[in-house]
Amino acid sequence: MRTSGAAGALSALKREVATIEGTQASLEDGPSAQPFGIDGIDAALNGGLIRGALHEFGPAGAIHLGATFGFALALGSRALAAHRRHVFWIETTFAAAETGRPYGIGLDDFGLPARHLLIVRVPRPIDVLWVMEEALSCRAIAAVIGALTDDVGLNVTRRLSLAARASGGLGLMVRHRSSPMPSAAVTRWQIAAAPSRLDADGGVGHAAFDLSLVKNRHGRCGRWTILWDPHERAFRDPALSVGVAQAAFDRSDRPFLRAG
Amino acid sequence: MWLKRLSTDRIARSFAPDDAVVVVAPIKSALRLTALNDAAARLGLNVGMALADARAMHPRIKAADADPAADRQWVEAIADWCDRYTPLVGLHPPDGLILDISGCAHLFGGEAALAGDLVQRLSRHGVQARAAVADTVGCAWAMARFGDASARTIVPPGVAREAIASLPVASLRLAPDVVTLLSQVGLKRVADILDRPRAALAARFGTGLILRLDQALGCDEESITPRRPLPSYVAEQRFADPIALERDVLGTIQRLGARLARTLEQHGEGARLVEVVLFRVDGKVLRLAAATSRAIRDAALVRRLFAERLTALGDAHDPGFGYDMIRLSIVVAEPLGPKQTGFAAPDRGEELFALIDRIGARVGMRCVLRIVPHDTHIPEFAAVEVQAADDRRRTTDDGDSSSVLCRPSSVLRPITLFTRPEPIEAVAEVPDGPPVRFRWRHVLHEVAAAEGPERLAMEWWRDESGSALTRDYFRIESREGARFWLYREGLYERETPAPRWFLHGLFA
Repeated sequence: MRTSGAAGALSALKREVATIEGTQASLEDGPSAQPFGIDGIDAALNGGLIRGALHEFGPAGAIHLGATFGFALALGSRALAAHRRHVFWIETTFAAAETGRPYGIGLDDFGLPARHLLIVRVPRPIDVLWVMEEALSCRAIAAVIGALTDDVGLNVTRRLSLAARASGGLGLMVRHRSSPMPSAAVTRWQIAAAPSRLDADGGVGHAAFDLSLVKNRHGRCGRWTILWDPHERAFRDPALSVGVAQAAFDRSDRPFLRAG
Repeated sequence: MWLKRLSTDRIARSFAPDDAVVVVAPIKSALRLTALNDAAARLGLNVGMALADARAMHPRIKAADADPAADRQWVEAIADWCDRYTPLVGLHPPDGLILDISGCAHLFGGEAALAGDLVQRLSRHGVQARAAVADTVGCAWAMARFGDASARTIVPPGVAREAIASLPVASLRLAPDVVTLLSQVGLKRVADILDRPRAALAARFGTGLILRLDQALGCDEESITPRRPLPSYVAEQRFADPIALERDVLGTIQRLGARLARTLEQHGEGARLVEVVLFRVDGKVLRLAAATSRAIRDAALVRRLFAERLTALGDAHDPGFGYDMIRLSIVVAEPLGPKQTGFAAPDRGEELFALIDRIGARVGMRCVLRIVPHDTHIPEFAAVEVQAADDRRRTTDDGDSSSVLCRPSSVLRPITLFTRPEPIEAVAEVPDGPPVRFRWRHVLHEVAAAEGPERLAMEWWRDESGSALTRDYFRIESREGARFWLYREGLYERETPAPRWFLHGLFA
């Protein structure tokens, strides 16, 4: 009687310690890391982008800001699940003027249906951080994408990562300008747009990204170039992927320029 | 209620208590007195006298400029304060208030007690008031201004006729020329005209006289226009000892919410717009409202919403010496069926709505948006942002939202769009070629690949001036790999001699 009581108490204690350390994943949320589907990246990240944590993204240059947002949206679109149906996009009105507002039709084309996106546009940067924290604490959100124009301190990122851990959501912090300041994010990426693979007729292809993982708490860093397939909502390795035949239609009346 | 010395009471703080204070305004090119305080009245001054004459009689009177806007604001603040007695408060400009206390009087121990409490509290704030309670608006107005000099008069029901009989004719709210006409004929008191044949009076002095008489006697309906919409459900709590701590305020809100939840459940309704009115001891009234994205009954949720509201106010939330009354009212209610509580896992959809409400309470509901497609080919109108709270069913809609307008699957749209397309300098082949290089925000981009043009003509059926230009859109990839959505505005030589180029959006 006593030993079984002791064993039961021990397992209960173990569970409690695991919850405090944050390594226990909720059953219904699935695996605790979101894989990229590309071996090199998944190996460096030990399985994929860790859920319940904060990740930081910055552009490699000012012209790559659109690519950085696109990458964050692609990750958000992959994070959608049966009971986590929404992605939050949080920005200030100033940030919206700098990069443009999310465009529903384009997001549908990109692989993140606009009905899954909720936009919060606030006047002050400090409100962005508050809304991020509140949204990360909600268990119905798949991913929270916060657009930050200024630097934030270590305490702020620590609070955000704690909120993400408590609820298991994906926290994606997109900076308008890469900054070397320390942060409590689990990974830090620098994103640049890569020249896309031109399609069969020489038109501009789908999105391609140059990723640089510059800080990784649980593994090594690296650089990769990947493509995004909006129809499958998956990443593709450019060396391996074979172009999928597009639906045939008549394009003879459209003039375009060859790559030059 | 008549605020007898409105203008001088408002500024009384700037002068010593015994001073004779008058308020002057330029009328007919001379400074004339428009209001006096009691001390000035005792000296024998009258409204309408010229300031120069008054100064000649009593050199030591103090004069201040008239400020009708400030007076009006003051009356409105007092009307806000009178909200504690009844929600139906109307203004009688320039210096009167009318309160409908039917059904409220018993809460204060009777009509006499209510009127006495009102006058006494106002006098403690330094406002002189005369109150009269009567059956009709007209009778109350007359008794307050022209009744005997006691601070409050109660006219028992049914005695209105006798009460106003002895008052002068001016108490019927008539135009000044009608009053002069009546006095010229010798009709100085209301009693004189009560018994005259009405047709003759109407013919001689106009139908306005008959209307006012009927209103005063109650034969004609006169209603008060309340200053605010009346709430459907109200619960309030008074404090003998004023409270100031935020924790106590929120606890009271939760208790009032629980009280109202029972009433809401009986009626099968839930709250969509909740208002909290905080009455400060020194007379100021603070109103907070919170909207929700779906009907709720849960008092804990209401408390959370107002916690966010108070935090959003920050420093502007100043309890002063404390609140002595807190009222929770539900302004907009919607039908809500009974909820089945159980042991099942928490509803994640509910969590999402609660989150939207909290964010709305903190930063404003218009900051939380969803995208809704529209049936138009013009890009900037094809996807519109609407408030997420407005149509909650769409937020959980998982149905297939096939795009409203058909587009070939290879024609892609950018992921971000600028609300105002940014002008760029571009070098392109004429007449229809894509740009070879362009400059945006002072950075030069060389074009590596281009797709297009996609020609979008503006909606000619909406364009009356005929000036909307056709756009040729190009999907451009620059040498560095960044992808843009540009357009040329205007067809070369067909619509405009020098078409301009714009950048409308960014691709990933």
